[in-house]
Amino acid sequence: MSYTPKEIPENVNVTATPALVNFGSLVIKVVIGLGLLYWSLGIAADWLVVHMSPATEQKLGQVLLPSQHAAPIAPPDRRLQYLQALIRALEPPGQPLRFPLTVNLVEAEDINAAILPGGQVLVTTGLLNAVESENELAFVLAHEMGHFAARDALKGVGRTLVFLTVAVITGIGTSETGIPGPVNGIGNVTQLHYSRQQETAADRYALAAVIRNYNHGNYSLSLFKRLQPLDPQPGQLRSIAEYFSTHPLPQSRIAALEGLAANEGWSMTGEVTPLPDWFPSKS
Amino acid sequence: MADLIGLIVFIGLLVLGYCAGTYFERKHYREIQVRERKTKHIPLITFGAKQPLPPAAAAQLFVGSVVVSADYFKIVTASLRNLIGGRVVAYESLLDRGRREALLRMKEQAIRWGATQVVNVRLETASIGNPTGDNNGLVAIEVVAYGTGLR
Repeated sequence: MSYTPKEIPENVNVTATPALVNFGSLVIKVVIGLGLLYWSLGIAADWLVVHMSPATEQKLGQVLLPSQHAAPIAPPDRRLQYLQALIRALEPPGQPLRFPLTVNLVEAEDINAAILPGGQVLVTTGLLNAVESENELAFVLAHEMGHFAARDALKGVGRTLVFLTVAVITGIGTSETGIPGPVNGIGNVTQLHYSRQQETAADRYALAAVIRNYNHGNYSLSLFKRLQPLDPQPGQLRSIAEYFSTHPLPQSRIAALEGLAANEGWSMTGEVTPLPDWFPSKS
Repeated sequence: MADLIGLIVFIGLLVLGYCAGTYFERKHYREIQVRERKTKHIPLITFGAKQPLPPAAAAQLFVGSVVVSADYFKIVTASLRNLIGGRVVAYESLLDRGRREALLRMKEQAIRWGATQVVNVRLETASIGNPTGDNNGLVAIEVVAYGTGLR
């Protein structure tokens, strides 16, 4: 057999697809894949918000709490007992909350209250110093209870909730401090921004609870009226701005609540319920 | 801002990789075709080892070796492919060029020596660069072709 040299013009070893076409199709596939992942995480998070067991939710709250603030004031404190009792009194009698809320008092000048996922209520000592009657305090607490009842805090965590729940249930990805890795990803959950609808719903819940408890809504909105930054004083501004950075402006809020009370036929006149004698703002 | 700079650098490298990579690949292929035409009269034969060699006056081992590197565009394309699986089309031309270049270098040496054929030709490849494969190091392959030249 003799060898006849010949050229082989075609190349079966290299696919003829142009490099840019190949790259483009890969980018599209990867983007679609990531989009599907993002979408399914959203679905899973929405599902978790509604179907999470109370036990898991409470565990989540205990895990999140130390990551948020300086250590809260330790339990044997009569301010805490008072707040806890007030929250219990504000609970709707027919339909109690998923599980009892835990109050955490934080030493801070800011006038603020927040609810963490998992039923952990944060109240600053600044708020206790600012309130002048139990009605004012009750409204703020009931507002946070409204967020809890609507699961707004859980919704606010967003897609990270999926990873957080998996970390809390399985213990995977939990660092030595007991704080799961995903917590670092969500930052300060007390700064969660709720939508206007969520805030309005929480306000409605709060006013209804206050009316139930005191038979009238008088004085409950006085805190907001006082805090309205009409003529902000220097030094006073910062702590007020803190509160309104996470809550809607009081003007429209008060108007909406007064409108609601008028529609529902709720009484907005009545006696003030004073704070206990030992209360910080009384001094 | 830092993210934006990172993105600009990434896109810049991608464009550079694509333009330079395509230019040099085309140039290399043109060169390969010319040299293959020039050396096609020498048959490369691979029969089994331990077979008697054809009768010849002299025999000598010839080794052709080449190292080819991927460009940034190819690396990114391949890493995208890595996410979803399938044929890594981006690296096919890289390996093809390596094989043909190595064979040509072996053949050209053998021709200079006066070979009339090269028998028992073997090809081997090795990857050069970081074995972790995190796409930060060199992505390059070495192709070695060796065979016995006869005259």
